[in-house]
Amino acid sequence: MNYDHLMIHYGELSTKGDNKKAFIRELGKNIRHALKGFPTLSFRHDHDHTYVVLNGEDPKPIIEALQEVSGIQKISLVYRSEKDFASLKENALSLMKSEQGKTFKVIAKRSDKTYPKHSYEIARELGGYLLKNCPSLSVDVHHPDLSLHVEIRDDAAYLYAHTYPGAGGYPLGMNGKIMMMLSGGIDSPVAAYAFLRRGVRIECIHFAAPPYTSDAVLDKLKDILRQLNVYQPDIRLNIVPFTKLQLAIYQNVDEPYCITIMRRMMFRIAERLAKLHHCLAIGSGESIGQVASQTLESMIAINSVTNYPIIRPLAVMDKLQVIQLAEKIGTYEISIRPFEDCCTIFKPKKPKTKPKISECEYFEKKFAWEPLVDECVRNVSVIIMKEGEEAYYEHDDLQEGRE
Amino acid sequence: MIYFDNAATTKPSEAVLSLFQRYSESFFANSSSRHALGREANKCLEEARNSILSDFRLTKTHKLVFLSGATEANNLAIKGICEQYKNRGKKIITSAVEHPSVLNVFRRMEQNGFEVVYLPVNEEGKVEPCVLEEAMDKNTILVSIMGINNETGTINDIHSLANIVHRFPKAFFHVDITQAIGKISLPYEEIDLFSFSGHKIHGLKGTGALLFRKNITLSPQNIGGDQEFGFRSGTVDMAGSCCLAQAVHLAKNNRQKNLETVQILSSYLREALKENKEIVINSPSDATPYILNFSFLHKKASVITEALSHEGIYVSSVSACHSKGEPVSYVLLAMGLGKERASNSMRISLSSMNELEEAKIFIAKLNDIIERTIDR
Repeated sequence: MNYDHLMIHYGELSTKGDNKKAFIRELGKNIRHALKGFPTLSFRHDHDHTYVVLNGEDPKPIIEALQEVSGIQKISLVYRSEKDFASLKENALSLMKSEQGKTFKVIAKRSDKTYPKHSYEIARELGGYLLKNCPSLSVDVHHPDLSLHVEIRDDAAYLYAHTYPGAGGYPLGMNGKIMMMLSGGIDSPVAAYAFLRRGVRIECIHFAAPPYTSDAVLDKLKDILRQLNVYQPDIRLNIVPFTKLQLAIYQNVDEPYCITIMRRMMFRIAERLAKLHHCLAIGSGESIGQVASQTLESMIAINSVTNYPIIRPLAVMDKLQVIQLAEKIGTYEISIRPFEDCCTIFKPKKPKTKPKISECEYFEKKFAWEPLVDECVRNVSVIIMKEGEEAYYEHDDLQEGRE
Repeated sequence: MIYFDNAATTKPSEAVLSLFQRYSESFFANSSSRHALGREANKCLEEARNSILSDFRLTKTHKLVFLSGATEANNLAIKGICEQYKNRGKKIITSAVEHPSVLNVFRRMEQNGFEVVYLPVNEEGKVEPCVLEEAMDKNTILVSIMGINNETGTINDIHSLANIVHRFPKAFFHVDITQAIGKISLPYEEIDLFSFSGHKIHGLKGTGALLFRKNITLSPQNIGGDQEFGFRSGTVDMAGSCCLAQAVHLAKNNRQKNLETVQILSSYLREALKENKEIVINSPSDATPYILNFSFLHKKASVITEALSHEGIYVSSVSACHSKGEPVSYVLLAMGLGKERASNSMRISLSSMNELEEAKIFIAKLNDIIERTIDR
């Protein structure tokens, strides 16, 4: 017996009352995009599920593609049956015969309340029928090899025994957009992935300090974004020319405070670009205590330059967990390519782990950094990574002063 | 564009490229096939083989195996000798500054139970004959020493080294001539085995050869259809091999002329670099003019390389073969120049295609970049 549909169970969005229609529409769009390589499929949406009509396609690659789409809780491989009890019995029997396993149970659910049997009756009668007609099967309601789900809905009955986990979260685009700080290391792509899973679109910002950083970093970033394109098919990368500002910092700031001040400048620039591009928060791959600039004391000193929310999805995660996730989304191998980013090149011998805001302000009074920050924002160059297309450089027409 | 990274690889010459196209189109048959087209391809291949042997004047004494490059040639030479002659003795000798394709093969042999001696070099990077002499004994079956060092351009005295090795009848002498071919003349008849790549002499990547005395047998590293006298199985890249012959021929015929061109550039660069207080030259004064290695006293070499790259000037800061590993030059360390100098070196490597004007632009840009970059 061949399964003919996939039933997509919505994630957390089923609790979302009035916004639900928009959620389903957005998810439908993302599902269609993820499955655009399978032109024979057709789709149907209702209040609780989205159905993919397989039309004879092999379900395996389709399920794999759906598992990358955020907003899906799980995916079931289903057989659509007539609702009358006789065909239900017949179809359930041929389904069970085509499956492997020694023990089973039947789980029934009836959203069509006009159906003549209630859920318990369906389960009991169907179970009895199957038990009688499959001599090799026995019932085990606690740890069955096979759980046969029967859902009686308005249009038809759906039978399924296999369910696959989805990515969870919300459909991409439902939760606004974030300005994600991307260094090229292991952490920031994983943090970006955490946002994408939550349905938050990302736009990225990278600080480049040529010649102190290598152009090879850009290739690395493009490769990372290629991997993230699976979750968001178009990603914009803002590259901030940071050299002049960074040199000014190193000329005017005592060595232990250099990194702190540098991070303060980065957040100032990120905030400016976030506002410009309608991002509602700044995302960062920082993890508490990982390096000197990521202690809680440093975070206060750095954070105080902006009122924008800075969200750090990895703040409390273990490095090994982060690495595992990076491997899962395919960015680990790219991130460990050894090229210098702007933090590794100016590595102070003793960076401050407990910087004070007053000290930061003292150093920042020593030089005119505002015009340098303006210059950074003005001279941003943009790379757009679209799925299936070459990376292209865009002349940024959204820049400040020309709005 | 100013390309000063010719020791990493060179631009293929027009002659080589057109020959590749011609031979690939006309003689695409498998040179092992028995039909007429296969025999024609085989004839071309044998002509290429003879052409290289006669360019080295070794038709009588040596044979040649076509390979994918010097790395494969070094592997075949070293592993081939060690496996074939291990019953004669278990000691093999090389120098501390060899290319990784020699050094790492020796390390592997060491793991396989051979006694390996890594000869130290003097402050110029040369293997001193007396040091080799001291290390030699009757258990030694192989000595492998490079002709010219790829990082510093240091030239070894191959003639004296060969004389020492040949006093021990069981020992074979292998020379990696990858950086020497087309640049200096070597006493090839005194060398038992030598390897080189085509792409360092304006030939193609993926071509190379090992030449060795006819009486030597090597344990093959590729086993299959017994092509190349059974030393290297696999369908032979006939067109590539013909291009290699062409590149060797051009390199040999133009050696003197090319040397004169490069000498002028090299002298200019050396003098100009000496004038910058930030720079200290690592290549000895009698090194090949094709390679000039120097270190920065305060600047970070990788930053300067990146800045030059932005200007369209291409040089190396660490040998391209291990640029993804530890960025310290083991060659400069072995010369006793210290870690700071060894981590901040730059290599300019020239070809006869370079012009004096390019050298002048390079110096101007370099001085300017040094001026405007911060210390490490």
